Amino acid sequence: MTLLSFDEVELGDEIGPVETEATDEAVLAFCRAWGGMHRIPNRFTDPKIARENGQAEPIVPGVMALAMMSRVLTEWAGVGSIKDLDAVFRQPVPHNQSITIAGTIIDTRREDGENLVECDVLMTGTQGERFVTAKAVLALPSQAHA
Amino acid sequence: MAGQMVMELKYDRSLHDKEFPAGPFEVTKQQVRAFAKSVGETNPVFLDETAARDAGYRNVAAPPTFCTLLIDGLALPDIGLKFGRLQAQAGSRVRLLATVVAGDHLTASSRLKDVYPKTGRSGAMVFCLWEHTFRNQDGQVVAEITQSFARRE
Repeated sequence: MTLLSFDEVELGDEIGPVETEATDEAVLAFCRAWGGMHRIPNRFTDPKIARENGQAEPIVPGVMALAMMSRVLTEWAGVGSIKDLDAVFRQPVPHNQSITIAGTIIDTRREDGENLVECDVLMTGTQGERFVTAKAVLALPSQAHA
Repeated sequence: MAGQMVMELKYDRSLHDKEFPAGPFEVTKQQVRAFAKSVGETNPVFLDETAARDAGYRNVAAPPTFCTLLIDGLALPDIGLKFGRLQAQAGSRVRLLATVVAGDHLTASSRLKDVYPKTGRSGAMVFCLWEHTFRNQDGQVVAEITQSFARRE
């Protein structure tokens, strides 16, 4: 696999947009992977339990939304590239709806021997809802090491 | 300051000075693969042992935010916050220092970092911030995670 190199990236470059979706099945699979502390059904998988917890419907767990964001960044920059991912969960992320994940490069710099790329990342809905906003710092190989 | 409010917060403040260790947690291939598949990862280093070894990893690599899965199992104390009933995750910051691979045994060290009130469009909220440091069996820090939760009425 050809790795993206630092020299190919410029300010304003875009990551994605990538359209994706967290289906009921995917959220259930995520909760199973999450482990024993998340009994199923739970507020992320069951409408009644969700309502008891003040939600209109089951939502995508924040840590799952974060993992979906990190997937898009890793697909763009390669495994092991993410140094820092700082996310704010602004609105509940719904199941079974188209979600767009996109990033914009806002800084590139060489720091402590690393080639760093900083980007704003957004997870949005079809009506323009800003579900998750994040900043990420990625380390990329230089052209010589690509 | 906008968004700030004066509120006498009642919770167990003695927790601020404490460190809560947990683990070790064994990272299994099954959990790594199940997590990777559930969030749509297709890179074989997260799914296939041979591909992972070919890429230089000891075993299947865990997707970057893997350690966030472990936080709910850390058995952190109830801070005794006398406010609100509903709680939701407000934010998460993951700083990654080394790749976790299946077969690792991770330990965690957690601290209550901050508890503070804010007002938003939906009314008053109280935010609780916890910091977690995850280390592997060699004592190497693999991830530093800050998670915030918002409690509201």
